[in-house]
Amino acid sequence: MTATLETPTALSDVDAAVTLSGVRKVFGHGPAGVVALDGVDLTVAPGEFVCLLGASGCGKSTLLNLVAGLDAPTSGRIELTTSRPAVMFQEAALMPWLTAARNVELPLRLAGVKRGARREKASELLSLVRLVGAGHKRPHELSGGMRQRVALARALASTLGAAEEGTPGLLLMDEPFAALDAITRDVLQAELVRVWRETSTAIVFVTHDVREAVRLGQRVVLLSSRPGRVVREWSTVDCDEPVVIDEITTHLREVISGHAAA
Amino acid sequence: MPQLDTDLSAVGAGLDALDAPSQEQRPSLWKRFVRTTVPPLIAFALLLGAWQALWALAFWPEYQLPSPGSVWAAVAEAVETGRAFEVLWTSVSRAVLGFLTAVVIATPLGLLIAKVRVVRAAIGSLLTGLQSLPSVAWVPAGILWFGATPSTIYFVVLMGSVPSIANGLVSGVDQIPPLLPRVGQALGAGRMAAARHILLPAALPGYLAGLKQGWAFSWRSLMAAEIIATSPQLGEGLGQYLHNGSALNDISMVIAAIFLILLVGVGIELLVFRPLERAVLRARGLTGAL
Repeated sequence: MTATLETPTALSDVDAAVTLSGVRKVFGHGPAGVVALDGVDLTVAPGEFVCLLGASGCGKSTLLNLVAGLDAPTSGRIELTTSRPAVMFQEAALMPWLTAARNVELPLRLAGVKRGARREKASELLSLVRLVGAGHKRPHELSGGMRQRVALARALASTLGAAEEGTPGLLLMDEPFAALDAITRDVLQAELVRVWRETSTAIVFVTHDVREAVRLGQRVVLLSSRPGRVVREWSTVDCDEPVVIDEITTHLREVISGHAAA
Repeated sequence: MPQLDTDLSAVGAGLDALDAPSQEQRPSLWKRFVRTTVPPLIAFALLLGAWQALWALAFWPEYQLPSPGSVWAAVAEAVETGRAFEVLWTSVSRAVLGFLTAVVIATPLGLLIAKVRVVRAAIGSLLTGLQSLPSVAWVPAGILWFGATPSTIYFVVLMGSVPSIANGLVSGVDQIPPLLPRVGQALGAGRMAAARHILLPAALPGYLAGLKQGWAFSWRSLMAAEIIATSPQLGEGLGQYLHNGSALNDISMVIAAIFLILLVGVGIELLVFRPLERAVLRARGLTGAL
């Protein structure tokens, strides 16, 4: 493993928000080590909405952690041209001692933004996720869907708030709607697409739900399991949704049943 | 891709209205007062009645079981002569000063133990052990090292309260959901910023419990030190007052001293720690125990 180990750096390559080349991640050492990702090449264009799809054990979350800079790849390169990426998890993970507005302000506060500007940005983002008037509420006073929207506003604050004007943002989402009920999930998916259009942020969205992936993404990337590799990609712009869903589902099943023998 | 038509946003607004947890109505001030004040008053009155009855039955001689009236007279006399306030002030100021010093020492110590593995392995169990060591055990050593001076008193108070406060903070940090520090990292918090904005506030309930216990330990350590270490140099605190009562074979004075010691303990709990704890837990939606 001689490849360069680089932390995400801005490059002149402007037509890609994220570039992964030959990314490999091994947990543990020697023969006992588990290869989570192997030779992953992936490019996300600025403002693109990409869905990563795969069964459990395909290293989706590992991949997100690497792009977010929470973990370093064993080998390979990850290049970002965006501002600092923001991560959203399956749980909203709001700070329970802060109000909704203060939660949104937190990343700005950590970035040293002045109080007045912070307040203004937070209320702007809260109205973007349709939570005007809920800013003074504590997380326990909000429903699951509302909490996840506060988390979305906080993620946007984290990637857009402290960056220079014009720097594109990057949102990494790790099955953010998996814990919500079907109706709420439906509404939040639509909200996310609306917010994405309004903010022109690039989104990498991890899910194991084919329908969700096809519905949200402009591009669906299927990953294999153990080790995770890119198997195939589908563009979902102007496609026949049911046909693509069927095709991807068949493919996903093949990938999963390939593990039965092993 | 879905279009967000007005229908769906209306559905979203409806969901928000339906799913948001309903706000419980806080009962009125009067009701809360009745609920929290009346039961302890009744318990106190019953206790007093039982005491009076036992005294009236005269099972024990007067010098062992005084009447509530004579204890009250001892308290009233101490209050009238102003002695009660001097004694209370001496002890409470010592306890508060000792407690605040303990907080200053124990907070960084607790953070170190919680976050640095080597430190935890080295002194974590020692600290827990110290917590179970009665701080009275330090009084003889303190007298040998510092003489019968205030230093001995403060030494004993610190040995009593520092372990509780540090341990409270450690368990507070241990109970933080692991996702929160990760979110902090993802939001760009460095080590110091994470401690200030995520670790400490997240550990606050445990820390507060530690502070509460630390106060109780500093108060009882102080009493132990004052009862054992008496000298003119030390002035008269509650502990000395109790000691004097015992020396004079004045059971009314002894019970009066115990009453005053309890009064301070209950008073600080009700005036300082209960409201603090309530405010912290309520803000986090942890209202079950309140």
